Amino acid sequence: MLTFIARRILYSIPVLLVSSFLVFVGVTKTFDPLQKFRIGIKDPNALQRAIDRLGLDKPVYEQYWKWLKGVLQGDFGVSYRTSGEVWPMITRSLGFTVQMIFWGILVALLFAIGIGIFSAIRQYSAADYALTGLSYIGVAMPAFWFGLILIQVFGVWLKQRLGWERSPLFFVGLHSTDSKGLNLDYARHLVLPVLTLSVQLIAQWSRFLRSSMLEVMSSDFIRTARAKGVPRRRVVFRHAFRNALIPLTTDVATQSGLLFGGLVITEQIFSIPGMGRLFLDSLAQGDVYVVLAYLMVTGVFVIIFNLVADLAYGLLDPRVRLS
Amino acid sequence: MLTSKRNRTAAILLGASLFAAACGSDGDTSSATTAKPGQTTVAGTAATTAAATTAAPAPAGGTLTIGAEQEPDCADWIGSCGGSSWGYWMMNVATMPRAFTIVKEGENWVPKASEVLAGEPTITGSPKQTVTYKINPKAVWSTGDPITSADFKYTFEQIAGPAAKDIYDASGYDKIESVDASKPDTAVVTFKEPYASWKQLFGAGFGILPSKILTGKDRSAEMKDGYTWSAGPWKIEKWEKGVGITLVPNAGYFGAKPKLDKVVFKFLADTSAEFQAYKAGEVSLIYPQPQIAVVDAIKAGVDGNSAFTGNTGNVEALWINNSKAPFDVKEVRQALAYSIDRDAVVNRLFGPLGVTKAVQSFNPPIVSKYAGTDFAIYKKDLAKVAELMTKVGYAKGADGYWAKGGAKASFAMRTTAGNKRRELTEEVLQAQLKEAGFEMTIDNAKAGDLFGKIAPGGDYQVALYAQVATFPEPGLSPITDSKNIPSEANKNSGQNWQRINIPELDPLVRLVDVEFDDAKRIAASKAADKIIADNVASLPLDPLPNILLWSKKISGPSDNPVLGPFWNLNTWTLAK
Repeated sequence: MLTFIARRILYSIPVLLVSSFLVFVGVTKTFDPLQKFRIGIKDPNALQRAIDRLGLDKPVYEQYWKWLKGVLQGDFGVSYRTSGEVWPMITRSLGFTVQMIFWGILVALLFAIGIGIFSAIRQYSAADYALTGLSYIGVAMPAFWFGLILIQVFGVWLKQRLGWERSPLFFVGLHSTDSKGLNLDYARHLVLPVLTLSVQLIAQWSRFLRSSMLEVMSSDFIRTARAKGVPRRRVVFRHAFRNALIPLTTDVATQSGLLFGGLVITEQIFSIPGMGRLFLDSLAQGDVYVVLAYLMVTGVFVIIFNLVADLAYGLLDPRVRLS
Repeated sequence: MLTSKRNRTAAILLGASLFAAACGSDGDTSSATTAKPGQTTVAGTAATTAAATTAAPAPAGGTLTIGAEQEPDCADWIGSCGGSSWGYWMMNVATMPRAFTIVKEGENWVPKASEVLAGEPTITGSPKQTVTYKINPKAVWSTGDPITSADFKYTFEQIAGPAAKDIYDASGYDKIESVDASKPDTAVVTFKEPYASWKQLFGAGFGILPSKILTGKDRSAEMKDGYTWSAGPWKIEKWEKGVGITLVPNAGYFGAKPKLDKVVFKFLADTSAEFQAYKAGEVSLIYPQPQIAVVDAIKAGVDGNSAFTGNTGNVEALWINNSKAPFDVKEVRQALAYSIDRDAVVNRLFGPLGVTKAVQSFNPPIVSKYAGTDFAIYKKDLAKVAELMTKVGYAKGADGYWAKGGAKASFAMRTTAGNKRRELTEEVLQAQLKEAGFEMTIDNAKAGDLFGKIAPGGDYQVALYAQVATFPEPGLSPITDSKNIPSEANKNSGQNWQRINIPELDPLVRLVDVEFDDAKRIAASKAADKIIADNVASLPLDPLPNILLWSKKISGPSDNPVLGPFWNLNTWTLAK
């Protein structure tokens, strides 16, 4: 297994290098970190000072090589925008994104498993049809639209309707400025973004689980277990669910990795200063070192979670051997 | 079944607790108990600023939450990461001492000696320009140390001294020869050459830095993430990156002390989020950009007080490339100006805010005393368009467009892609210009490309964007003086992107930069404005109004077009 892990990590290095170089070239050629020096400043030397400071007069490959050497020594460089170290910016944003992913996946899994199992064991019932219909709506619904609707309904409309001073659910950040930790304020901030994040996951995963549950439930070993008089609950949860979980686990692990870089919309709508917003702000201002650090971190997470998916697959299904 | 019931009960309890918590007011808490603030909605016009609401005195205390649609990059105001408007409004104005503050006199916003000084500075013009600042003996930092001439000297050296590095904008400071700090209560600044806009030094976007605290340290590192010292009414309690900034009163402030206990600025993702947060009560005051959606929402009605003003430091204009056909001919530029009903455009964009008239100068409304009104002659007049175009050899084709030698009077308009207000402006102009015989296409670009490459490189015919003045001083030389046309000589950093090259204009705009006599300065500025208007070097459009919306609980807000909406935050009160 160790050989397998080592080989996977080695394979990922050139992928990261090539993608980071392409992103570096793309960002430096497309966005302008000097924009604010070009308009409104009367100092004729300001622009040249900034070019000299940032080394923007050097060829792109030279700028990239300088960055790469720094990364190999643990230095992700300095942000063009803030003049601050890039790494603390990444870790700070990552903290918010990790919270979102944790709660989003937890909620999505709880609901998806519940719905998936229920739909499978009540196949073709009215409830199954209703949940199937809702799942299709959930899959088709754009996250940004759903998030805005939630804000309008639970943030604005409800507050106005009830005549309260503030809305029952918040939609700016993950906690109030003076509040910290797991408390009611945190819960009121979490509900809407987590719902926005998880609705599509619930829809996808519940369909996924329903299909695999139905496939497993029609297997010979399930029929045998039922024939032997094993209680229905035990057949469903211990025999069928465990086997149906294997493809879902792979999907959850893969999507979790992608989520580390893919919460742009949710974070933007709910003003959460996570990785997605950091990426968006940095990209718009040509802050290439932050964009690259973002890419490296999300790339590493994708690789790790793909690896976890493969390992989990092997653990859950003894027939699968990693080679 | 039992599990299911338990879950349902828990869900009901959670829901109930959320609703119960919502009934409380843990956001904008106030210890105020009796007074009720005034609730006036005021709309300004193109040249007037809406007055703040006034009210019966409200008790002190309370926490106010304000929506901020931009997080500053850093709080090292003089560093290259500085320059953020929101950083300036939220933290700089609240904490930094400045030699001059900005007050309204009549219709004009003017610089006046602040309470840091004992009086107006004295100025001498020969043999070299010197300015002597007498410092108020009561002026102290939050550490208790007095503000001294050493602070002036330190500020100058950090910005334009030999060791200055990574500076955002050294203009003005680079004209200082020395700062004499031999007397702690008197700073004498000597200039290398005459500099008429000296009042914006040791203030404006920077302020005065505390030499005793910062000497021997890395200024940028000490300041960029916020600082604990202050000489303003507020101190920065914390800056939680990505989340918000909290200000608390500076107990050692030598002026009028704040009445609120705390002010929290929450960072919001964009104007839309800002507006929703205001409507939901998550924030009690917003200062949104004048986007179409915002203007429409205001038109539809928003709870609370509001102030709109066209008396700003902004001028949004059609910036014409004077070196590109067909606008390399003065008469064609004049014909363009006569083709457009600018008041109709402004009214369409900002009418609901009470801003209905086009601006008539590139000097923004806050320096209107230096501005001419010569552009006022350019009203929509299709007969005049025909006369001018015919004069320079154009004839109208069967398609209704002017043409000369087979070339149509055709051009592309460029602005920042995605800006709905500007895109609407383009659509309105396109229709008006078609009627006048000009073929206008739209070729928008990302802001980075427009301001980074297209405009500086002169790769445009007409561009739509705004110039913003950060201090009420005239000065069009950066964008109109021919020596500032991007070239090898100025390392392509010149900002005369319009390639305006009018020999008789250059001495006038240069005179405005160095003349101390205000009457002569006004005369030179107005004469320059007349030449610009006669040549239609570009075409001013609107003042890009400021919008301030606030909860009825708050008393005191009013907009200062230079210092921002929080300039008098220390006088605000909050009712329960």
